[in-house]
Amino acid sequence: MLSLIVLLPFLSALFMGCVYLFSNIKRKNSFYTFFGVGTPLLVTIFSFMVGKEFISGSEMIHESLFQWVNIGGFQVEIAFMADALSVVMISFITFIGTLIHLYASGYMKEDDGYGKFFSYFNLFMGSMLLLVLADNPIMMFIGWELVGLSSYLLIGFYHQDSSNITAANKAFILNRVGDFAFISGISLLFVTLEGSAFTYLSIAENISSIDSQLLSVIGLLLFIGAMGKSAQIPLYVWLPDAMAGPTPVSALIHAATMVTAGVYMVARYSFLYVEIPDIGVFIASIGAASALFAALIASYQNDIKKILAYSTMSQLGYMFIAVGLGFYSSGIFHVFTHAFFKALLFMGAGAVIVALHHEQNIFKMGQLKERLPFVYITMFIATLAISGIAPFAGFFSKDAILVATFASEHYVIWAIGSFTVFLTAFYMFRLFFSVFHARESEQKELKELPNSMTKPLLVLAIGSTFAGFLGVNEAYGGSAILNSFLSLPDKTLQINHSVEYTLSFVNTLLAFVGIFYAYKKFARDKKIIDEENLFNKLLVNKFYIDELYQYFIVKPLLFLSSCIVNIIDPKIFDGVFHLNVWSYKKAALVFAKLQTGNVRHYSLYILLSVSMLSLYMLYNFGWL
Amino acid sequence: MSPNLFFLLASVIFSIGLVGLVSRRNLFIIYMSIELMLSSVNLILATFSRVLGNADGSVIALLIMAVIAAEAALFLAMIVHLYRSRKTIDSDQYNALSQEKNYA
Amino acid sequence: MLETSILELLVFSVLALFMIGGSIAVITNKQTIFSAFGFLLVMIALAGMFALLQSQFLALAQIMISVGAVVVLSMLTILTVNLKEENLPKEKNRYKWMIVATLLVLPITYLLYRSMDEAYIYFVDIDKVSSQVVGKLLFSDWVLPFEIVSILLLTAMLGAIVIARKDDTEQKGRT
Repeated sequence: MLSLIVLLPFLSALFMGCVYLFSNIKRKNSFYTFFGVGTPLLVTIFSFMVGKEFISGSEMIHESLFQWVNIGGFQVEIAFMADALSVVMISFITFIGTLIHLYASGYMKEDDGYGKFFSYFNLFMGSMLLLVLADNPIMMFIGWELVGLSSYLLIGFYHQDSSNITAANKAFILNRVGDFAFISGISLLFVTLEGSAFTYLSIAENISSIDSQLLSVIGLLLFIGAMGKSAQIPLYVWLPDAMAGPTPVSALIHAATMVTAGVYMVARYSFLYVEIPDIGVFIASIGAASALFAALIASYQNDIKKILAYSTMSQLGYMFIAVGLGFYSSGIFHVFTHAFFKALLFMGAGAVIVALHHEQNIFKMGQLKERLPFVYITMFIATLAISGIAPFAGFFSKDAILVATFASEHYVIWAIGSFTVFLTAFYMFRLFFSVFHARESEQKELKELPNSMTKPLLVLAIGSTFAGFLGVNEAYGGSAILNSFLSLPDKTLQINHSVEYTLSFVNTLLAFVGIFYAYKKFARDKKIIDEENLFNKLLVNKFYIDELYQYFIVKPLLFLSSCIVNIIDPKIFDGVFHLNVWSYKKAALVFAKLQTGNVRHYSLYILLSVSMLSLYMLYNFGWL
Repeated sequence: MSPNLFFLLASVIFSIGLVGLVSRRNLFIIYMSIELMLSSVNLILATFSRVLGNADGSVIALLIMAVIAAEAALFLAMIVHLYRSRKTIDSDQYNALSQEKNYA
Repeated sequence: MLETSILELLVFSVLALFMIGGSIAVITNKQTIFSAFGFLLVMIALAGMFALLQSQFLALAQIMISVGAVVVLSMLTILTVNLKEENLPKEKNRYKWMIVATLLVLPITYLLYRSMDEAYIYFVDIDKVSSQVVGKLLFSDWVLPFEIVSILLLTAMLGAIVIARKDDTEQKGRT
């Protein structure tokens, strides 16, 4: 069953890809829709069936296909493993994935590359499932790379515009930088654990045999890989540029699933990270810094998709705070709820963009409240969820994280997290009010939205409302079903219920202050940011980080390359050979002068040699 | 009288012939130097004939003399031919295979 | 060990002097015909040497072939070509070349002489090598080289005719 879950999307991607490339007649969209949406639907059903097995009590499913590599001590099997963590991940990945596939069939309706799109999309789905269901680090890395590849292919989908290609390259290259660290971490792990098989279970058993400093290095390297994949500081610069891809791509890959792979990885390696709490604090600090940083930038952006991209980065920061400090279940819980409302936000944004004929600047939209009522309501629910207002999903997950942070006495991180709650509410509602409430002088003609784009929004809205109830902790009467289901090595904390209520109250208060501030500034007239102020200028230009990278990293690399191409390669390496050839020619010319054509000279040469020979013989005979 | 005197004389004649071969440009003189060298060999053969006591050396010398005759015919025929085509008997003029003429 | 008489030594030295003088005349003269005269002198002296070595037949053969055929033929050719003095090759540097060549040749000569000198050999008393002796040998032990040399002579004759004949095509103004 597990192998089917992983293989079906790959097969359908291959099939659709071949049909798209090699068929002479142009197929109708319905052909691709059938396979492109049908396969994820089938896979969702399978995942739910696997989930049912888990709910009724089984602990782990292991399905092994065949032995792939068997060289001495290095053995890799193609095998799939499903434990509670994987089941949670695949259930929401497939479910939200299917909804987004359905949405995409409406969004990409008029595009020529419809079949290609669904082929890539299914490829992505298969890769993500491979990543989650892998049995050993090598297979997860394969899935990791494939996900990066699909992301590259999909970001650069509108390949006629070269800036999209540049954005795709940027995503892939930054991912690669992270992957370098990731694979160093895996290799180091393998080398220190020689002798045993290389699956998660066997690593977990032998983890105590590794020296703690080495373990810290491994944990750090693995996290750097996660930094690249999940867009934390400093490897985040690809995420805003990745919004150049179609909106369904942003919804699925860069909001709900791929970027959470880093969080999943840390949770999967929880047996490793519990041994190295210092690295965990580092992870949490990076998460906190990214959350704050992204929230600051998002408050000053104009493009609707870029705001949502930065908000993704910010929420990912929260997830890393959770898993960094040892609260793995809370992190995964936030991943779960975030997937719902972020996908909903992106899909709603896509609906607005399409309706306004591909306009993406929020200050050019306005007063869509009456004209797109369905989108309005669903976006409203999603925005409330992300701001952490009860009883929507975001409240419970964010609250769990912040309470846990406070209780483990990392007050600075808690303060940053709380301030970011204020900022999150502010910029999300700034977006909301600017798009739907503010006065817009000219009313554009709206485009009709197909059903396939609006119905999934409804399902996700329901999810955003109710998904939070899966992880309610005892303070509010729930029994944290998700946490106990996941059975990850969480840190337990004792905290007074009163403290907990106080903290939640503070968070909600901050959120309302943010909403009110946004309302005041943006609900009536839109205020364009004035760029004369230095602080504003810094923020609008995203702290000039891109320019810094370009100047300090890209330029020297390009200079080095051009140096090698223009100087070292032709002059030094080729130069040695040219010198060789030239010297041969010159020597040959010198010797050629001996050939005068005059027989007398030749007889002189012979006489000379015979004379030398006879001298030598005389010397040897001793007659000299 | 010992054979060594004859040997010395033959070596001297040989070397004089060699010197003439290398240093002169006139074709006839080159030819005559070659003859000198051959004759010195004949002298040595005749000496050995006397040393060994039988006539083998003389017979060989006789055969060599036949070869000398044949070679004289050919050499002089060649000189005639060359003179007819180039009107010079300077060996330095026959350098059509030189590097500078062909590849300069 | 034979006793050497003074007469023999005297004859030897005279003949040797002629030979060396003649050969030096061969190589140093500018005019061709003077070298030819020197060459003639050398051949005659050589015939005398052969006679001194009790090779009577060889001395006769030397006179007949070397002098009578080779020298005569070369003199004939020289006189037929008949270059005027101004057309002779202008060998300005011949002495320099000769000195260099002499220096180079000295080791060879010394090697030659010394290698022959090492053997402890001496003359024995033999009968004159007359034509009978040579004839007998020539047709018994040495018949194969004899036949081959005769073929060689035939080939040389043909070759000489072919090389030296006047071709009609050659006359048509080629340098």
